[in-house]
Amino acid sequence: MTFIKLLFTLSLTVQLFANSEISNAIKEKQIYPMGKKIHTSRCPSLDISKFKTYEALLSAIKEKHICSNLNTKHSEALSIYLWDKQVKKQVKELPKITITKDEKCQVCGMYLHYYPTWVSQINYPKGETYKFDGIKDMMKFYFNNKEGIVDIFVQDYYSLKTLNAHDAYYVLGSDVLGPMGNELIAFKDKKSAKVFFFDHRGKKLLSFDELTAPMVHNLDR
Amino acid sequence: MTDKFNPYLFKYAYGVLLRSFSKNLFIFITLTLLVALLSATLFLSSSIKNEYTTRVSNQADIIITNQKAMQYRTFNLNQLQRVLNIEGVKSARGRLYGAYYFEKADKKLNIIALDEFESYSNRLLDETNTELEGASMILSAQAKNLLEEYYYKEYFNFIKENGSLRKVPIKGILKSKDIQKRENLILMRSELFRDIFDMDEREISDISVTVSNPDEVAFIAQKLEEIFPNAKIALKKDTLVVYERSYNLKSGFFLSIFIVSFFTFFIIIYDKLSGVSSHEKKEIGVLKALGWRVRDVLEAKFYEALLLSLGAYILGTFLALLYVYLFNGAILLDIFLSQNDTLHHVAISFTPSIASMILVFLLSVPPYIFATIIPSWRVATTDADEVMR
Repeated sequence: MTFIKLLFTLSLTVQLFANSEISNAIKEKQIYPMGKKIHTSRCPSLDISKFKTYEALLSAIKEKHICSNLNTKHSEALSIYLWDKQVKKQVKELPKITITKDEKCQVCGMYLHYYPTWVSQINYPKGETYKFDGIKDMMKFYFNNKEGIVDIFVQDYYSLKTLNAHDAYYVLGSDVLGPMGNELIAFKDKKSAKVFFFDHRGKKLLSFDELTAPMVHNLDR
Repeated sequence: MTDKFNPYLFKYAYGVLLRSFSKNLFIFITLTLLVALLSATLFLSSSIKNEYTTRVSNQADIIITNQKAMQYRTFNLNQLQRVLNIEGVKSARGRLYGAYYFEKADKKLNIIALDEFESYSNRLLDETNTELEGASMILSAQAKNLLEEYYYKEYFNFIKENGSLRKVPIKGILKSKDIQKRENLILMRSELFRDIFDMDEREISDISVTVSNPDEVAFIAQKLEEIFPNAKIALKKDTLVVYERSYNLKSGFFLSIFIVSFFTFFIIIYDKLSGVSSHEKKEIGVLKALGWRVRDVLEAKFYEALLLSLGAYILGTFLALLYVYLFNGAILLDIFLSQNDTLHHVAISFTPSIASMILVFLLSVPPYIFATIIPSWRVATTDADEVMR
């Protein structure tokens, strides 16, 4: 009897953590896109506020077919997508840094459109923007002209999404070279920065506030 | 006299061409054939190159195929998740496809399994304008014809591994022009595919990976090699290089042969015009004695050469287009593509490139005109009296 009880509790705990077992990467790269597609193509008006738990939502989708006839894989994708979207309150994505053909780096004067993956940007009030062909050049500019800066944007190395520079993490001295040689490379979180740090033999992993002018200038040596 | 176009000179040139008809016909036919062959080769090579590049650019950055003892094996979903967990991978898709051997016809039916909610498959489905529903399938025009030959008009019976039959209704035909050409293609849902081939729910044929940052592709490929030491990892960049290498060698070889044959042709022409022209020399002498100026003689010669070479060029290009479009470059294509080339199974969409037309024009028309004018200019500048003697 106790064995059966044990088995039951075990299966219960497995069920409870079944959803959280899926890693964030898989959710973001596979499940959310699929869920979003099902949501927009099959039942865009589905109201999920009346469901108290994830399990209730899943069973409603799976068994009561509140969103057309979906198989297990698709109903799971849809419910994970809808549930996480509701819980997380999606952060608004920053627009991609755009470059025209004749824009040059403010520090070194190189054309930017050859290196779209490396471009970073500083905004001043009154719509003044400066773009750079790498975070190293941007930081050199930043340390000399700190006053009145509104926004600093950098790109995440892995996803190429625009980040607010203050929230990013930086790896210095890795074996990945930018258009201006040794670079600071930005990441959206510490986890991915660490992966890069070990993969590409970085020397330092710092947040924005920890960066200093001598550190940046040392990269050129 | 004015510099205007002189129709009498043109008429005269036409008359000269007709007078030595057999000689000119020989030159005309040779030049036409040369132009036709050269432009057909250039059209073919440019369209093969186009086909390769578009195919490769549609391909994912990395494609991983599983192997065991150097034999093709499927992956499972756990392995796909390991790929998805790699930092820098934008998306990874487990693809599901295969071929069914249709024994009666001794033909292969290529089957692609689709999941309608995956971003890639929708593109294929959008092109067909039909929706895959439940246990049905969509055929390419060729596959449809093949099945109809064996009286499968509304459904087809797949024989499963255990010997039982699976009856699958035919839902529609692929409408897209591009796919229509593909040999014996069938689209169906993954559940149905798995049922027919008795595949596990977690099995996938291979994994295609896209990477956001192009700088990171090589490193991710290296990482994948560590995770799957036996798998075959194909990078988009490498695939293109392999295609180009195997193909450029052949086309370069061909082109050099054609250039050699063109040179031979012009040596013959030049020889003919400068050597056998005692008769023509006399003719020019007579014309000069009649009061023609050097420029009139040259103008007449120019029209003569232009008529012949331009006619040959236009006819040759036309023949080349006809050959490439109507006969799909039947024999020449086999020389360019090896027997096991993937492009062999796909009709190539031909795109005649203007650049190669101009190239052939410059190789054929102006050299012929110069080869005709220069010797007659030499004759025309000498004294008429001396020439006729």
